[in-house]
Amino acid sequence: MEGASHPRAASIFEQEGTSLFTIAIDPCVMAAVIEARGLTKRYGETVAVNDLSIEVPAGALYGLLGPNGSGKSTTIRMLTGQIRPTAGTATVLGVDVVADPVGVRSRVGIIPEQETPPSFLTAAEYLRFVGSIRGLDGTDDNADWWFEFLDFGDKRDVLCKDLSRGTRQKLMFAQAFLHRPALALIDEPLVNFDPIVQHQVKEFLVDYVRRGNTVFLSTHILEVAEEICTGYAILHRGRLLHAGTPLELRETDRHLPEIFLALVGRDPAHA
Amino acid sequence: MPDLFIAMFKEEWRVHAELFGSVGFALFPALVCAMACMGTVLVPIVNAALPAGDLATIVHLLFLLVGVMVGGFGLVGNEAMNRRFGQVSFVAYAARTLPLSERRIFATFVAKDTVYYLMLWILPVLAGVALASPFAGLAPATVLRLGLTLLLAFLSGMTALFLLTTVWGRSKPAFAVTALVLAAASAVAIVAGLPIFPPLALYRSFSWTLLAGLLAAIATALAISLLLFEPVSSGSERRHPDRFSGLARRLGRLPYPGLAAKDLLDLWRSGGGVAQVLFALVLPLALCWFLISLLDRVLPTNGVLLLFAVIAGVLGSTVYTWLTAFDALGPYGCLPVGVGTLIRSKLTSFFLLQAVPAVIVLVAALATGAGLVALPAVALALGLSAWSVAVTVYLAGLSPNILVYDPKVLAAFLGGIGLPIIALVAFAFVSPWLGFAGLVLVVPAALVVSAGIRRWETADGTFF
Repeated sequence: MEGASHPRAASIFEQEGTSLFTIAIDPCVMAAVIEARGLTKRYGETVAVNDLSIEVPAGALYGLLGPNGSGKSTTIRMLTGQIRPTAGTATVLGVDVVADPVGVRSRVGIIPEQETPPSFLTAAEYLRFVGSIRGLDGTDDNADWWFEFLDFGDKRDVLCKDLSRGTRQKLMFAQAFLHRPALALIDEPLVNFDPIVQHQVKEFLVDYVRRGNTVFLSTHILEVAEEICTGYAILHRGRLLHAGTPLELRETDRHLPEIFLALVGRDPAHA
Repeated sequence: MPDLFIAMFKEEWRVHAELFGSVGFALFPALVCAMACMGTVLVPIVNAALPAGDLATIVHLLFLLVGVMVGGFGLVGNEAMNRRFGQVSFVAYAARTLPLSERRIFATFVAKDTVYYLMLWILPVLAGVALASPFAGLAPATVLRLGLTLLLAFLSGMTALFLLTTVWGRSKPAFAVTALVLAAASAVAIVAGLPIFPPLALYRSFSWTLLAGLLAAIATALAISLLLFEPVSSGSERRHPDRFSGLARRLGRLPYPGLAAKDLLDLWRSGGGVAQVLFALVLPLALCWFLISLLDRVLPTNGVLLLFAVIAGVLGSTVYTWLTAFDALGPYGCLPVGVGTLIRSKLTSFFLLQAVPAVIVLVAALATGAGLVALPAVALALGLSAWSVAVTVYLAGLSPNILVYDPKVLAAFLGGIGLPIIALVAFAFVSPWLGFAGLVLVVPAALVVSAGIRRWETADGTFF
């Protein structure tokens, strides 16, 4: 797989005085790894995602923001070939998501918001299972790295159904990066983690991107997006309202929550 | 309790109505009723071919069998609720947010499921019998008594299996003791001339005492089951050494060794290994054997074994349903596997597990001194199993457990397997060696599976 080798999370702070923002890659000079044109998903009368066009450059840590029910998860599921768009086209790492959904999933790492690992495999068995499905050699070394990094090695032989929600999320994180994908799509990456793990994960994602990979994440934690993302898009009621970069925000001396509330908060549904 | 029951009931209805449409789901009992009605019209003809009383025995045993197949609550319990409701259920998880105990919720869940099965299967059958009774020469009093005793046969089967599976879940030695006690009690009843199957005894000779005793026994078994049942997981972390790697290596020659190894571990560790085989295959097949053996006098030589092989084949195809029921499909959305791969891998595991019905047929043949025709009987069972699972895959993809309640799908399934069954039974009755003709079905089965995979790969489902 074309992704980078596993980083040591601590390495991102090895450059003293370097903030998370200043190590971000300028997305303008990179080719797009995600290209969506007019992406639409309807469920009967309900339009979950409406005519979404978006480009995510390689090397970006891109945040898809929006309130609950805005279409973030649906977008990720369409981009990873889990559901078929009603209209529009999308390519991920150059692969058409409708024509070759399995091809997309073989190239990217995915962490869904709700799915949990299979109940009756242990944590270690699940990572070996993922390794066998992805045709990986040396899964154990990668798995060991993740058990150590996220500090859940004592749970490796526990059945997934008996793991806490946070530990399941750690395991889902590990499975998504086991094959060192060039692109990871993550739905609410921090939602079940304690503050220490949240910090570790943010460090990891920033470092992962710095090594030439791309991360596309959805979140409604605006502070996180502002802290680590190099680009963002705000989605509301399935429509793209605004897209930009934190650099642009700093130039106008504005903050993401302010813009978000101005765009979404005026909707009576969120008043 | 009534509010919780009503909420669960509505939820169950909406889950099915969303899948099949309100009208489609509501039509399911009508389909069952129509089939029962047609069957009842044939009663005088069947009665003429059977010794007096045997038809009543068969019908009561069939209702017992339906109860047995429904009553496995204790087998998978909370996991069944997880699999059935998953993320979409709120009522089943109300204990997390409301002052309701898990046990109370589970008791309501059992009650709701029981009422649902009554409405979907049992009452429509009784309605069908009642509607056809004037044409079948059944007196209204007989129909009423039959309705009551068939209901009791269903409840007996359901509560007996609920009790046994709950005891199994608590302690394997306790299960062995319970099974021995039940077997001993049955033996004593036979020797003492007491009714071993009270619902049937009640049908033949109504008695208020027997009715009260039977109702008390059902209520007691249900109460004990609910008391013994552990709805909440113990909170302990169950640990296992790595079994996956070795198993996947041993299955290395199969097309999808990793997926097959996971299937087998799922089945084993979910409590469904031995227990599932015992309660969902061996027990129903034992009952079927008993039922078919009643027809011995009207069947040709080896007819009982061959008919049993047919039923073992069709019932054996439900192993595919187990394999999908124990597997949540959502997490596959993170992996580079499509619906086609998943169906093929489930079928790989399915064919591995077909050893179970094959051995059962083999044992039945040897035990009844029909060893000479054991091989064609096994071929008959395996061929029909392959065909039935192919039809299932084509019609229901990876959701056979849910789609069975779609009347259109069910009718198509019955139509799809009906003709081959009739043809094969006719062949086998001419000569048992023609049972090998069952293997011919493997070729069209493979074609139907391919068509099914193409169909579900292009379906606009939630996962592909």
